[in-house]
Amino acid sequence: MQKKSLWKRIAGLLLLGVMVMSITGCGDSSNEAGKGKEPTKIVFWYAVGGKVGEATKTLVKEFNDMHPDIKVEAVFQGDYDSAINKLKQSIASKSTPNVMQVYDIGTRFMIDSKAVVPVQKWIDKENFDTSSYEKNILAYYTVDNKLYSMPFNTSTPLLYYNKDMFKAAGLDPDNPPKTFEEVAADAQKLTQRDSSGKVTRPGMAMAIYGWFFEQFLAEQNAQYANNGNGRDAMATAVSFNSPQGEKVLNWWADMVKNGSAVNMGRKTEDTMKAFVSGQTAMTIDSTGVLGDIMDGVNGKFEVGTGFMPHPEGSANGGVIIGGASLWMLSGHSDAEEKASWEFIKFMTAPKQQAFWHIKTGYFPVTTAAYDDDELKKYDAKYPQFKIAIEQLHNTPINRSTQGGLLGVFTQARQEIENAIEHVLAGQASSQDALQKAADTVNDAVARYNSSVEK
Amino acid sequence: MYLIPSLSLFIVFIFYPLLKSIKLSIFNSDLVGRETTFAGFSYYSEMLNSSQFLHSLLVTLLFTFYTVVPGILIALFLACMVNSELKGIAIFRTIFAFPLSIAVAGASMIFMMLFNPSSGVFNYFLQLIHLPAVFWLSDAHWALLSVAIISIWRSVGFNTIVLLSGLQAIPEQIYESARIDGAVSWRQFIDITLPLLSPTLFFVCIVSVINALQTFGEINILTQGGPMEATNVIVYSIYREAFFNTNFGYASAESVVLFLLILICTLFEFCFLEKKVFYR
Repeated sequence: MQKKSLWKRIAGLLLLGVMVMSITGCGDSSNEAGKGKEPTKIVFWYAVGGKVGEATKTLVKEFNDMHPDIKVEAVFQGDYDSAINKLKQSIASKSTPNVMQVYDIGTRFMIDSKAVVPVQKWIDKENFDTSSYEKNILAYYTVDNKLYSMPFNTSTPLLYYNKDMFKAAGLDPDNPPKTFEEVAADAQKLTQRDSSGKVTRPGMAMAIYGWFFEQFLAEQNAQYANNGNGRDAMATAVSFNSPQGEKVLNWWADMVKNGSAVNMGRKTEDTMKAFVSGQTAMTIDSTGVLGDIMDGVNGKFEVGTGFMPHPEGSANGGVIIGGASLWMLSGHSDAEEKASWEFIKFMTAPKQQAFWHIKTGYFPVTTAAYDDDELKKYDAKYPQFKIAIEQLHNTPINRSTQGGLLGVFTQARQEIENAIEHVLAGQASSQDALQKAADTVNDAVARYNSSVEK
Repeated sequence: MYLIPSLSLFIVFIFYPLLKSIKLSIFNSDLVGRETTFAGFSYYSEMLNSSQFLHSLLVTLLFTFYTVVPGILIALFLACMVNSELKGIAIFRTIFAFPLSIAVAGASMIFMMLFNPSSGVFNYFLQLIHLPAVFWLSDAHWALLSVAIISIWRSVGFNTIVLLSGLQAIPEQIYESARIDGAVSWRQFIDITLPLLSPTLFFVCIVSVINALQTFGEINILTQGGPMEATNVIVYSIYREAFFNTNFGYASAESVVLFLLILICTLFEFCFLEKKVFYR
């Protein structure tokens, strides 16, 4: 008796599941059939949570309110890496979203996935004017003279420093160090030691973050990968195992060795916390956390910002933009593609980008946003951000500062971080560590390229 | 008939993925993980010749040792402590079982704050007793131990509950007759408690080893396999290879090896440890 009823229950549950699935399935098809009346539904995957996620949701809601004929369904995907992994599965099962936020280093993979529509298609179709968009930002996402995706959230790294500590150490608080050599010298002066010589407060804290290494290469106008940083043709090997790469690691390791810089691991949250709580005088971090730093410091000391340092004598370098862009996925109806394009245009329009900048601290991707009154007020409150804009505009556009394109960029970044760890711990020379990382990544590049060709 | 529900679940969630992994491990695959051309055993030979894989294997075994042994010893101690008829002992039992109810992610986030080098509680206490600060997660010597601490903390609750139920199943009369024969308490523990608890201990041991070999959440959240690969256990390596490095074949080969490793460990325990188990 009991056995039977259990069976019935299971069968019932299964039936219920089938019903739910068919109902939702029906919902989709009726949407397609009832075009004209029903709004066009598009799915948007976004990948940054917290206050950035809240701002994203606000913009989506605003768009939906303003466009009764389009319904954007925003789905949070956890983080950039998870989003890309879910995309891989959705490509295999042919259920991709319409629009997706993908991080900078996912660019090569997105192109190679052959599952995307370059936004250039719609720019050409509508003769859309991109002249007000930041040139350096467009340059990153332009491959083979085509703008593949629309820049959305953009940041660069900055040098953050504690002006009060600079004053106390007899340094000019309005003149942050500009070169590796100056940073090293200032860090020494800013380092405090107890009577036994033990460091109680290091002058500098820098997280082991592959992105910083990429920036320091670009500052020296050095490329990360061959074939014009992977932009003239698919990169077949990396080129970060260069004298410029070694210079970065040597500089960093020397500071850690003499105690003027501290190795706190890979998390920028940890170095930021140390800076905010006055346990170090300088740090490198993204422009995106400027607001967090200012809130955390809350007037306890004066925060200064400066350009990313570069070795003395290096020229024509600058910063690479980081962050993410909006991609349009292929395989959807024309109506959906058009709706996606409307959505992408909206998200990167001046008014929205001004709101976005104020809420998140990312750069406005269009210079027209700087005319917005709210934004002017915000930037007057945080003059530190001006340095970031200056740094971006001072950066010449060349293959180095456009940033490398590599299908296995996440792996490359991981290998670089591993190499930095070995060098900082004194377990390998800069040259050997970079060579080992290059060998591993080159194997991966070869495998990646062969799987793309197939 | 009874077996069909569980069997179908097993087939869908265990056997099919297992066979699929084996298949993936002998094929090359494209960017989204679909098989393309036959690769034979090339991924296996690449793996066995890779120093990184051997390192991962070593880290995995070390991690298992670090977590299983203290995890069971602490749980045994706690279980004996709460196996008494004191007033309010239920409160302690609840407290010890508490970590069980916290998800890996939650526990990891809590420990991330405790481990924080500049604002964490652990370093604050070290400072109070004039010891140098420890970079719990960013020092290659400490990272694996730090992650192991979380795993131990998480597993002790479960182990304690299971061991406690084992202890309570031991009839009081046996202890009574032992006391009449003049056995002191540690004698009782060695000669009565341990043998009668051995089936439970055996179970806890097997489950702990399997859990330790499959630990992923803490490592993914706290160290991402670093620093200097010090916490790059096999499960984490599989995750990185498959989902970041688009190296599905290699990752599948690793997962097959991990499966075999768990199988061998479990068989080993059944063959050798079970002989010492005393079933009544």
